[in-house]
Amino acid sequence: MDAIGGVKHRSSLWLLPACMIMLFFSFLTLAPLVWLLYSSFKPHQAIIRNVFSLPETIHFMNYVTAWERGNLGLYFVNSITYTSTATAITTFLALAAGYGLAKFRYRVTGIIYAFFIMGLLITPHSVLVPLFVLETSLNIDDTRIGVIIPYVAFGLPFLIYLATSYIRGLPDELEQAALCDGAGYLQIFWRIIIPLCAPVTSTMIIFAFISNWNEFVFVFVLTSKVVLRSLPVGINSFAGGLTRDYGLQFAALVIGTLPMIIFYIFFHDQIARGFAAGAIKG
Amino acid sequence: MTVKGTRKLSFATLTIPAVLIYTSVIIFPIIFNIGLSFTKWSGLGTPQWVWFDQYRRILGDPVFWHGLRNNLLIVAVSVFGQIPLGFILAYIIYRRMVTAGRFFEVMIFLPITIAPVVVAILWNQIFSPAGIVTELVRIIRNDPRYVFKIFENKQLAILPILFVIIWMYTGLYMVIYIANLQKINPELLESATIDGASEGQILVRVIIPLMVHIIFTTTIFAVTGSLKSFDLIWAFTQGGPAHYTEVIAIYMYLNTFRYYNYGLGGAISMVIILLSIIIILLTLFVYKHFEKKYE
Repeated sequence: MDAIGGVKHRSSLWLLPACMIMLFFSFLTLAPLVWLLYSSFKPHQAIIRNVFSLPETIHFMNYVTAWERGNLGLYFVNSITYTSTATAITTFLALAAGYGLAKFRYRVTGIIYAFFIMGLLITPHSVLVPLFVLETSLNIDDTRIGVIIPYVAFGLPFLIYLATSYIRGLPDELEQAALCDGAGYLQIFWRIIIPLCAPVTSTMIIFAFISNWNEFVFVFVLTSKVVLRSLPVGINSFAGGLTRDYGLQFAALVIGTLPMIIFYIFFHDQIARGFAAGAIKG
Repeated sequence: MTVKGTRKLSFATLTIPAVLIYTSVIIFPIIFNIGLSFTKWSGLGTPQWVWFDQYRRILGDPVFWHGLRNNLLIVAVSVFGQIPLGFILAYIIYRRMVTAGRFFEVMIFLPITIAPVVVAILWNQIFSPAGIVTELVRIIRNDPRYVFKIFENKQLAILPILFVIIWMYTGLYMVIYIANLQKINPELLESATIDGASEGQILVRVIIPLMVHIIFTTTIFAVTGSLKSFDLIWAFTQGGPAHYTEVIAIYMYLNTFRYYNYGLGGAISMVIILLSIIIILLTLFVYKHFEKKYE
């Protein structure tokens, strides 16, 4: 961290409780995850016998069995398909709309923007029932497209918010110069706006990727075919129905968590910035 | 075509795809749902128009009221738990009261990236009768027959879930507050220190007034986020046992997709929307009140 806000402390009165709070919270965050990780290498009986003990041998079979019995390979591929398609579409549409809403000042612009911002406050569950009825009548329930469209729609408000506020801050001169050279607005969007938006685009992609990867309810409600399930829905079947074998359950949880934790280790800064951006301007 | 015309056309090309998808998935279903909520329909055959019957049924159902109570408790821990805790953690890191603040920041924010379903199953293992809590209490009390059975208590069953919600989302608020605290002009703090202000005075007189706005923005997010809690509780307990840990979203899911009462499900969705509007308006009202006080 930089020097901002760092002020020398005169009294140690604040330091000890501060340190204890931090250690307590970090312990609380890490301990369950560490416990999950090492328990996933123990066979079921060993977990029942002693929940705390470290694995005596590395029982890797949990992973193999969980992967096979839980169909996790298939769900993994599905999750990647949903997540990357929806993320790409949402980001592109949000950049386009963001350019339109930031640089074209019509009377309707403000209305459309407010309309999207309102979407930040709408929870997916409030449209689940009508969405299901509508998708059924259009025969797109139980299809990949029927899953991806809601992902995109619910991702749009926040990404449009990010894109619009970023593009508003870009200087108008570049656009003017390109117009004088005879470029059209769509060319400007493609050749000038998109490259200039690289920083906010990476935040948008990362944010959309995480929320789509962890998304549960649309696949859960809008599909019934096993071949369409995503990883969170697949893992949910370990919650009781599929198996009472704790070792398998833990292995499945690690499989579901690990990609995101690795992603997080690499992109922590952008992830934190993306989430923080949601509330910075309010 | 005229220059103005091309400009308008380009604007339309840029914005219409997003508007179309957003409208057809979010706005249109909400409008459609208003109609649906006045009907009785099992998903097959013709819906029967029943006016306010479904709403009356919801208001007369004790399961709904228990679910609402659980939802309000979640709103309460979000607003009075996550936000103050997140602020305290952010403040400690921002004021550099600990070394390696950055490390702590990364650790505490980590749960936000894990799927709620995974978090729920993990903590269910910890709170289950054969889980870690039982084991810990056995060791502490030296009582090998102790079993942690909080889920059998109608009033308390929601507590573990409230705890997990704090565990999962406090880091999010912390990160938001750190980002905003870092925008405060350091000279303000320096001059306050030179004037002899204590740590407590700096916090109350300088920092909190500058943060009021962001605290209320996050409050609105916390409130709407609280009404979203479905995945976590579904994977945790499915609302059980005996509806003890149910929230309105699960009440809606069960009535629609398990008991095939689409009209009732539609009506519950309307109640969720109305509730979010009421709570957001309340928050805004409180905010306006505070804003005046600080100006």
